[in-house]
This record gives sequence, C-alpha cells and structure tokens, in this order.
Amino acid sequence: MKTLAQQKKRTGLFFISPTVLILILVVLVPLIFSFVISFFNYTLVDPSFDRFILFKNYSTIFQDTYLWNSLKITLIFVFTVVPLEFVLGFFIALLLNRNIRFKGLFYTILTIPMVMSPVAVGLIWKMFLHADLGIVNYIFSVFNLPSVNWLGSNKIALLTIILVDIWHQISFMILILLAGLKSLPKEPFESAKIDGASNTQSFFYITLGLMRPVISVAILIRVIFSFKTYDLVYTMTRGGPGVSTELISYFIYKKTFMGMDFSQATAISYVLFVIIMVIVIFLFREMSGRKWD
Amino acid sequence: MGLKQNKNISNIFTYIILSVASLLILLPILWVIRTSFASELIAYEIPPKLFFVPTLKNYIELFGRLGFGSFLKNSLIIAIGCTVVSVPIAALGGFAFTRYRTGGTTLKFSVLATQMLPGIILVLPIFVIFNTIHFTNTYIGIILAILSFNLPFLVWLLMGFFEGIPKDIEDAAAVDGATPWSTFFRIVLPITVPGIMSASILSFILSWNEFLFALLLTGNNTKTITVSLSAMVTHRGTLIGILSAGTIIAIIPMILLSIFVKKYLIEGLTFGAVKG
Repeated sequence: MKTLAQQKKRTGLFFISPTVLILILVVLVPLIFSFVISFFNYTLVDPSFDRFILFKNYSTIFQDTYLWNSLKITLIFVFTVVPLEFVLGFFIALLLNRNIRFKGLFYTILTIPMVMSPVAVGLIWKMFLHADLGIVNYIFSVFNLPSVNWLGSNKIALLTIILVDIWHQISFMILILLAGLKSLPKEPFESAKIDGASNTQSFFYITLGLMRPVISVAILIRVIFSFKTYDLVYTMTRGGPGVSTELISYFIYKKTFMGMDFSQATAISYVLFVIIMVIVIFLFREMSGRKWD
Repeated sequence: MGLKQNKNISNIFTYIILSVASLLILLPILWVIRTSFASELIAYEIPPKLFFVPTLKNYIELFGRLGFGSFLKNSLIIAIGCTVVSVPIAALGGFAFTRYRTGGTTLKFSVLATQMLPGIILVLPIFVIFNTIHFTNTYIGIILAILSFNLPFLVWLLMGFFEGIPKDIEDAAAVDGATPWSTFFRIVLPITVPGIMSASILSFILSWNEFLFALLLTGNNTKTITVSLSAMVTHRGTLIGILSAGTIIAIIPMILLSIFVKKYLIEGLTFGAVKG
C-alpha cells in the first residue's frame, strides 16, 4: 500500500518531468554542445570535431582587443542604464503612490513600453533620431539647439542606445517598485508621523528600509536582462559606428556570422555565461532569504 | 494653512512630472501612428505636417506587395503555439516545486536560472543543431527554442500563485481521500485561474515580441513580424511610412491586450519580485 508521502513524491516527479525534459532538450543539450565546441576548432563552414585544441579558443579570445572593447561597452551600458532606470523609475513610482487623481491613466501610459517589442522600439527611435530627416533634430532646431548625429557618431551612439533603453525599460522599474510601495505596511509610517518624523525622514528610514528586498531584486533582474541587450543594437546601429555600440550579445553574433568563427563565439559565450551566473546567484540569495527557504 | 499650501504645491509638481513623463512615452507612439497614415512624401517632410488627408496606402502596400499577412499569421501561430504548450506544462512544474518540493532547491534553481541566460548563448548551438537535423524554418523548431526561456519564466510566475493558496484546502481534500491528481485539477487549478490568465498573456506577449531566436531559426515560411520589420530597413532604404505601419501592427495589439488585461499582467509580473 502506498503512503501519502510516496504518492506525493511520485506525483511531484510526474508533474515536473515535462518541464525538465523540455529544458534538457532546448537548454542543457545546446549548452553541452557549445561547451564541447569551445575546445575544438569548429567552424560553420567546416563543422567537424577533428581539431581538438583545448584552451586555444579561450586564450585567443582574451587577446582579442575587440572582446575587451565589447566587455567595456557592455559594462558601461549596464551600469549606466540600470542606475538611471532605478532612480527615475523609483521617483515616478513614488509620485504614482501619492493620493492623486488620474493615477490609473498615468500608470497605464507609463507602463506601455513594457509590452512593446524591442525591435519596434529600436525602429521607431531610429526613424526619430535620423540626423537629417528625424523629428528629434527638427524639434531641436525649433528651440535653436544644434543638430545631433545621434546614431552616426561613435562618441554619441552608445549614449543614444542608453537613452532609448531607458525609455523602453523604465516601465519595468515603475511596475515592480510601485507594487513594492503598495505592499508596504501602513503602521510604521503612522507611528513615525506621531513621533514627529518629517516626510523626508520617513522616506529614508522607513520606505527605503522596508523596500530594500524589492529594490535589490528589481535591480538585479534589470542587470541580468540588460546584459542580454541585443535587439536594440541590431536594429539601431549594428554595433556601429565602428565598434562603438558592440554590446557583448551582438559581438558574439557578429563573431559567428561575420567572423565565421563559431568555436571562438562559443568560448566567449561561456565567459558571458559565467558572468551572468554569478549575478544570478546573488539574485537567488536575495530572494531565498524571503521566499524560497 | 501653510501645510495645506505645501501639499498643493507638491501635488502640482506631481501632476507636472507625471504628465511630462506620460507625454514622453505617448507622443512617440502617436507620431508613429500618424506617420503610418501619411503618404511617403508627407512622411519625410521637414518641418513635418500635422494635418493631412490620411491614406491607407502604407497598410495596403504592406499587406499586398510585402506579404505582411503571412508574417502576421506566423507570429500568431508561434505565439499561440508557445502559450498552449508552455502554460499547462509550467503549471504542473510550478505546482510540483511549490507543494512537493520535487528535486529540492538545486533543481528549482537550475530551472529558474535558465530564463536568465542570454539568448545568444543558447541560440547559436540550437541554430547549428537545428540546421544539421533540418529543423530550422519550422514552427515546432522555433516554438521549442522559445520554450527555453518562456517555460522557466512561467514556472517561476505560477509558483508565486500556487504559494498564495492556503495549504489547508489541499490538506482537507487529502483527508477526504482525494488523490494529488484530483486535488490539483479539481481544487488548485480552479482557484489559480487568475495566475493561469497572467501566465498565458505574458507568454503570448513574450513570444510575439521575440526577435533573436526568430531571426536565426525562422525562414521564408515561418518568418515573424519582428524579423520582417528588422529586414525592411536594410533592404529597402527606410520607407518610413510603411515601416511605421508595420511597427503599429507589431505593437498596437500588445498594447491593447495589456490595457484590457492590466490586472492580470501586473499580478503576474510582480508576484515573484514583491510578494515574499
């Protein structure tokens, strides 16, 4: 006779098996495949496992100045967009959390970009930011501001991508942080008010303190996802001008299809894999404190 | 008196900031809508005309000569296919993690971590494998590939909803002699309808918007809207009227859907991060 515990264990295994099977097929197998390839000289033109070269791909890529350039650009991108999106998003979330009219309307509008495909966002802004025919430079000219070469200058293109990314992704911060603010308990604020705390004081001592877990989760998720940014670069600049906006995902893509060096691309993929997994571990530690233990 | 005045000033400030921010989001979208109804000549005119006789020429061209109808169909098949496959599987998986702790923390984290992987890491080996077994340019191929991040995301999302169900209900059912199976289908699923809704909508939007996997794994018969839009720029210069029309078709259904089901969407996205 089966005990309830045994029955539960069997049901659990049965329930989880489709998920696990699919992920083995589309995640684990490809990961192992590319891990193996990263030790061979395997190209798309000549795909064979004849030439085992151990760590040569890895030593080659680390001598590649373009990889270092790409990593640098990626880090600049991630550590510019995430803090800016956080500060602006938190500010807007705080305003939306006030007792005002049209809150629902503002909220609906401000979270629209979240459901837009990054390709569409990239194309829209590419049209707007065209140096001669774009509406943005026209508006600048109305206000007597100089015309800016948004996507054609290697000094400005990365900044342009950063601004467009903020336009696109700030909704996520607003959404998560506002949900966090709404779930805060009322009592600490009321007793602080009775004790004579100012609004600024309760913000710094109570709001920030209670919001800390939500804030760190929101920031870590955005860091992880901004490392993946690919679509914006593909549609707006293709990594250019020169290599000035070659974020790491695009760099790997280019290495595969234009550099025709698939095995080196897989080696770089594994470098990215390690970076992301380190951040993911931080994220899970942050979340497991509350939810998963 | 002074306090009230302070409050009024800060309210005005709030309205101004929120209005400016909303306009910054809304105006670009409205401008694309406007351009999609402009003839190519007017679309390029600087200074731009605000008022003109709208034309459907861009949309007619898009669906006629450029065959956008089939891209729309492909996007729909892929987005619906992904959702139909992943939501039931994720519901079972999420429930196993929350209630039976199947596989322990290690398995749970491994599954959830896969949604964080940059797509480029997965899509290159998948591309090579699919190419070898002639699986590119098939609906099943692209749907399977999108499951790599869609499925773990939905498992995560639904775990949040399952955790919200009081355990007492299931325990009571078990005492009454219900099997885990019937508990899940008869008791848990009906209360989780909002979660299932959120999961389905988010899955649909995610797969509809997906680009990188579709770029490498779809071909002439399966090409999606996002892929065909990105190709329009390079091949035909920038015909901004037509491009605007295509962009509108890519984004407006998702925006309307999200407004229509806002409640589910917000619940779904914030459950994992906020509810502890």
